[in-house]
Amino acid sequence: MTQKGTKVICPSCGAENLPGTLFCTQCGTYLPSGGPLRTEPFPDQEDGRIARPRGEGKEGEEAWALNIEVEVLNTGRKVLLSVDREILVGRLDAAHGIFPELDMTTDGGLEQGVSRRHARIYTREGTCFVEDLDSTNGTFLNEERVTPYLPYAFRDGDVLMFGTMRLKVHIYSSR
Amino acid sequence: MATIDSQKDYYAILDVPLHAVDDEIKQAYRQKARTYHPDSGHGDAERFREVQEAYEVLHDEVLRRAYDRQREKRGLSENAPVTLTLEQSRVEIMPMAASQMLYVMAEIRPQTGIRRETVHQNLNIALVVDRSTSMNGARMRNVKVAAADLVDALGPQDRLALVAFSDRAEVLAPAHLVDNKSLFKSALATLTSGGGTEIYQGLLAGLEEVRRHASADTINHVILLTDGRTYGDETRALVEARRADAEGISISAFGIGEDWNDEFLDSLVRSAGGVSRYISTPSDVRVVLKQQIRGLSRILLQNLKLEVNTAPYVNVQYAYRAAPYLEILERSGNGVVPLGNLMVDEPVVVVLEFIIDQADMGERRIARLDLVGDGASLRTGDASEPIRLRQDVNVTFTLNPKEEPVPAKLLNYLARLSVFHLQERAWKALGVGDVKMATAYLEYAATRLFDLGHRDLGQAAMLEVGRLARGSDPTQEGRKKLRYGTRSLTGF
Repeated sequence: MTQKGTKVICPSCGAENLPGTLFCTQCGTYLPSGGPLRTEPFPDQEDGRIARPRGEGKEGEEAWALNIEVEVLNTGRKVLLSVDREILVGRLDAAHGIFPELDMTTDGGLEQGVSRRHARIYTREGTCFVEDLDSTNGTFLNEERVTPYLPYAFRDGDVLMFGTMRLKVHIYSSR
Repeated sequence: MATIDSQKDYYAILDVPLHAVDDEIKQAYRQKARTYHPDSGHGDAERFREVQEAYEVLHDEVLRRAYDRQREKRGLSENAPVTLTLEQSRVEIMPMAASQMLYVMAEIRPQTGIRRETVHQNLNIALVVDRSTSMNGARMRNVKVAAADLVDALGPQDRLALVAFSDRAEVLAPAHLVDNKSLFKSALATLTSGGGTEIYQGLLAGLEEVRRHASADTINHVILLTDGRTYGDETRALVEARRADAEGISISAFGIGEDWNDEFLDSLVRSAGGVSRYISTPSDVRVVLKQQIRGLSRILLQNLKLEVNTAPYVNVQYAYRAAPYLEILERSGNGVVPLGNLMVDEPVVVVLEFIIDQADMGERRIARLDLVGDGASLRTGDASEPIRLRQDVNVTFTLNPKEEPVPAKLLNYLARLSVFHLQERAWKALGVGDVKMATAYLEYAATRLFDLGHRDLGQAAMLEVGRLARGSDPTQEGRKKLRYGTRSLTGF
């Protein structure tokens, strides 16, 4: 994701890709800022910095540990999520081995069109992203439908909608 | 003096039909000109100029005729049975002293409104069945039922030949119009299993039968059903397939069970513009064969080819088929990509990876794509006239490129193609004995498959990773499940 000279370094496997590459040729990881597709510039990005392969530089990651509180607007239920790892949003289905971190079953997820594997939420360097997992009824960020498999950055106060289920987001920094 | 720019759709700019008469054009022009005039409330100088240019061309009889001719060449006329549209990952690019990547998606879409009835072409096919010992039992029973279905599905104008092969080929029923179905069915009854598998023999006999009645007005096709590997005659079979392609005969191959050679069948059908399919359980033979026949009768264009001509500083790294199924396309030395058949209701999508080495400014045509195909059944009539459509890939090199999002459709196709390619890379690495690389590629593929929500395929990949880690070979079943499973990752 970071440009090193004229190459784009994959954040996942460290492979060098040509500028403009959208999916790492080595591991298939989506390289969002490899081209003009950039969704949201990362706050601490410096030119010429080499991205670390995943797993290295743990302390740097921890400095950015965030907590997200989501409020399910129709039931008023509030859930505090720790985003130190990826959060799957969906509906629990033990038979198919689907155990979402944010399970919408009790909030009427089925009736409101939440897919079992609906979306994922994760952070990268202090920014929260939501990525739709090709859900049946779509994911919306502030009323706008997002394209599946593309990360969209969201901020404190934004409203996420999974199918017709609306959630308000509060972001806290835990450090 | 007006200049003609065939890249522009003057009819769309004025919002008039292709057959509009001069009065309609004049009226449309007045209305549009009023709307976009720079002095009007929501004026748009650029649009106004376009409207004027469109009017100048369409209003002038001579210019309009010249423009129509150019459109026709590019396939925009009313008569063209297909459309070719391009989307690019970027339109404006920062010039660099180093290589950079550009993705281009070419969508080949049959014109809406073409009905199956209007394109009906008679079939001229040979069914070539593997009768080797391993076909004994359920496989042979199901093949017989499927073949009988096939006979029933064909009409009296269609031609069929039945060929069985083991170490040698036997023509059970020579090519004949299907006007007497019982004739074919009694020939099927004589089919028994026994012997080895020599695909070349069967293929050759099947092709001979099709060849006898092959013409430009019929769909000429060989269907090969096998469950085994062929030994030593692969090269000869591939040469035959290429020859068949040159004669306008396509081949499709269906592998039953796990023991057949997927790479060989793939390259066999690729040489002859067809498809290969994996049939995991014998009872699926019927369904798959039925689909195939339905597909054949829906062919709009045969022998479809995309000619890719690039600027000297541009190279094509990979050409993929992204729909109706995924495939890494082969290219001949002069940039021709064979695409096989185009179905009347099934668009073909090709994704090209261009590598650009260019550091100068300005708008440039970096590639020109020509789509060529034979259509014997179009309402334009003339069977011998090949269809030719042209589109240019234009890029503006600028220091300050506009940051536009990549078209979502292209991105979706690329996500799937990249997974497909990862697992193909794994099998390739394994083929040259690089277990470490193969394991890595399979693991990456598994991760992406789970990401995309294809748990079953992801699990299949992890299973093979586990086997490789323990030092054993991957299972034939897992390999086929992955290759043919990822190949059909086309849904949105």
